[in-house]
Amino acid sequence: MTGFFQSRGVRRFRRNKLAMVSLTIIMGYVLVGVLVGVFGLYSLDDTLERVGPANVPGFFGSQNLEKRFEDVDFYLKQTERGLYRRQAGQIIDRRDPKSGLEEVILGAFRAASTDATVVRPQVDSAVADFEQLEQNEDISARPDLLPELEALERNVGSLYATPGFAGGFKRWFEMILGTDRQGRSIAVRGIYSIKVAMLVGFITAIISVLLGALLGAAAGFYGGWVDHLVIWLYSTLSSIPNLVLLTVLAYMFTGSAFDGTLIPLYCAFCLTFWIGPCRVIRGETLKLRELEYVQAATAMGYPRMYILLWHVLPNTMHLMFINFSLLFIGAIKSEVILSFLGLGVKSGPSWGIMISQSGQEVINGFFWQIGTATVFMFGLVLAFNILSDALQDAFDPKHV
Amino acid sequence: MFAYIVRRLLYNIPVYLGIIFIVMAALRVNDPVWAYLGKHATQERYDQLASDMGLGKPFVQQYGNFLSDVARLDFTVESWDQPGMKVGKLLTQCLIPSLALTIPALILTTILAITVGLLSAYNRGRWIDQSLVFFSVLGMSISYLVYIILGQYFGAFWLNEWGIGIFAIEGYPESLTPSSWIHYCLLPVLISVTVALGYDARYYRAVMVEESNRDYITTARAKGASGQKILFVHVLKNAMIPIITRIMITLPFLVTGSILMEMYFNIPGMGRQLILAINAKDFPVIQVFTAIFAALFILTNIMTDVLYAIFDPRVRLQ
Repeated sequence: MTGFFQSRGVRRFRRNKLAMVSLTIIMGYVLVGVLVGVFGLYSLDDTLERVGPANVPGFFGSQNLEKRFEDVDFYLKQTERGLYRRQAGQIIDRRDPKSGLEEVILGAFRAASTDATVVRPQVDSAVADFEQLEQNEDISARPDLLPELEALERNVGSLYATPGFAGGFKRWFEMILGTDRQGRSIAVRGIYSIKVAMLVGFITAIISVLLGALLGAAAGFYGGWVDHLVIWLYSTLSSIPNLVLLTVLAYMFTGSAFDGTLIPLYCAFCLTFWIGPCRVIRGETLKLRELEYVQAATAMGYPRMYILLWHVLPNTMHLMFINFSLLFIGAIKSEVILSFLGLGVKSGPSWGIMISQSGQEVINGFFWQIGTATVFMFGLVLAFNILSDALQDAFDPKHV
Repeated sequence: MFAYIVRRLLYNIPVYLGIIFIVMAALRVNDPVWAYLGKHATQERYDQLASDMGLGKPFVQQYGNFLSDVARLDFTVESWDQPGMKVGKLLTQCLIPSLALTIPALILTTILAITVGLLSAYNRGRWIDQSLVFFSVLGMSISYLVYIILGQYFGAFWLNEWGIGIFAIEGYPESLTPSSWIHYCLLPVLISVTVALGYDARYYRAVMVEESNRDYITTARAKGASGQKILFVHVLKNAMIPIITRIMITLPFLVTGSILMEMYFNIPGMGRQLILAINAKDFPVIQVFTAIFAALFILTNIMTDVLYAIFDPRVRLQ
């Protein structure tokens, strides 16, 4: 192992600046993944919680007057619901407005006051203002209404507590990339999805590479029936179109105890992904086993298994790294496709879920969700693409 | 040559038997009849479906029966989800829409990718090559689904707003004519070409670059052949083997179709039918479709090997 890290290939790889940058980026993703997954930066509930009106664009909020008007309406309705309830079309006072107002939670936003005697006149006057504004048709074509709208926004804004520094930052982050169709924070969902991507990528890539390496090395080294068996196994599995096999495996797990988890996804990916590294490492082992050092080890009386595990396998380490990098990309991209087909991640968000949900939003010209998921994914996949190229360049000088 | 083909065929028989085994076993892990009927099924209906498919028999017998069905191309079992529809008919129905998408896409992608690859290899190391490689890596880092969603938005919705409604939002024509093909299928084809171009161009570039490092190229250069002549005559001709392999590898996917594209654009092809069958737990359809896909996959694999042996006689000797 130490020998590998001092090898010429690794030194060549470390001189590649672009590769080092992409490695740093990957480390950043891993760090966020660990913060979410281990230290609970965001929980699954955070990603499902409503933080504001639907489809708020990111960065500066809505610019369109019509949309701003709708958003004010949303915030107003939230507090109104704390004070009043509807019965048979009639709005009547809530028996316990205090607890009703305490239920007004939008991410880091809370109602400013839970004293109904204070809030009620504020809400009533805001509703009156709102209804007056609502009389005007086609608000977006009336810039002269802007001062009134801004006054209303201030009034409604004062119904909510101004969060402190930490809360303010949290609120800022929740809204920075806008909200999806159900008013959930796109930024939080995107960050949480990093954890999902890390889990899917690392678990499937590591298991597939190890499985493929072991089987491939054994097949190449022992030859004979082991070789035949492994070749039969991988030609069988690779003769079913990849996506068809993935869907059949996902079908196999529907209705089982693992249905809501990521386990079907892991199984489906591992079963198909080990073939690539297995082929490559089998070929490499066929070359390695003829080398003098292996003959020397045999002559010195080492057991075959020992030679395989300690002399042959470590020399295929570079192939394992290259394949790990390639499979990581494959896993993240396939997750998107399977999630779209309804066979992938089922509980909580992932980039695949976000992209497939955003299809409907894109038609209405809202690009924040698809943009966020794509940019987050793009950074990671691009880093791994560059890393794979750099690894191939470093270890295989003939590679172009 | 004949012996070679027979050897490849014989060799693939155990592979196919294994595929059928894996698929049949995987589909029977959960009771398929219960999965389809759900909780509120009557016992009679359950028994009827189970006996229709022979699910009560031992697995070995089911395996044998299904194999003989496949060998005789006898796909007269009926779909559960679409009563009265024979699976064989479903297969033939779905084939044309799939091919209408995949064949033009393959031809267009190959031509464009070879051109880009040649261009890149000809200017190797210069800015044009570097930017082509750069853009193909960028393009490869974006999900397929994003291309489809944005392609549909800009190609159909956005153009329609500008009054240029050449592309349909989704769907498939009743009868396939050139104009209806353009209306319904050209947009999906263009999107899949865009996606595949990055991968293919990079591959072809690597092939050409490797080929242009060979000794015979140096010889040709020493004899004073022009750059273009070397590229188009010497390099391209010798790069034909990897190019053909690459095309052949994608051939099985012609039939399976682009599952994603068919789902998104609502094109009634093979891939979409399979996904719909899986969602509806339509067991007979899933079983036959996967068996057919695998068979076609293997046949094209054998064809690749044979073509490979024709183009490169060194292969046969191994």
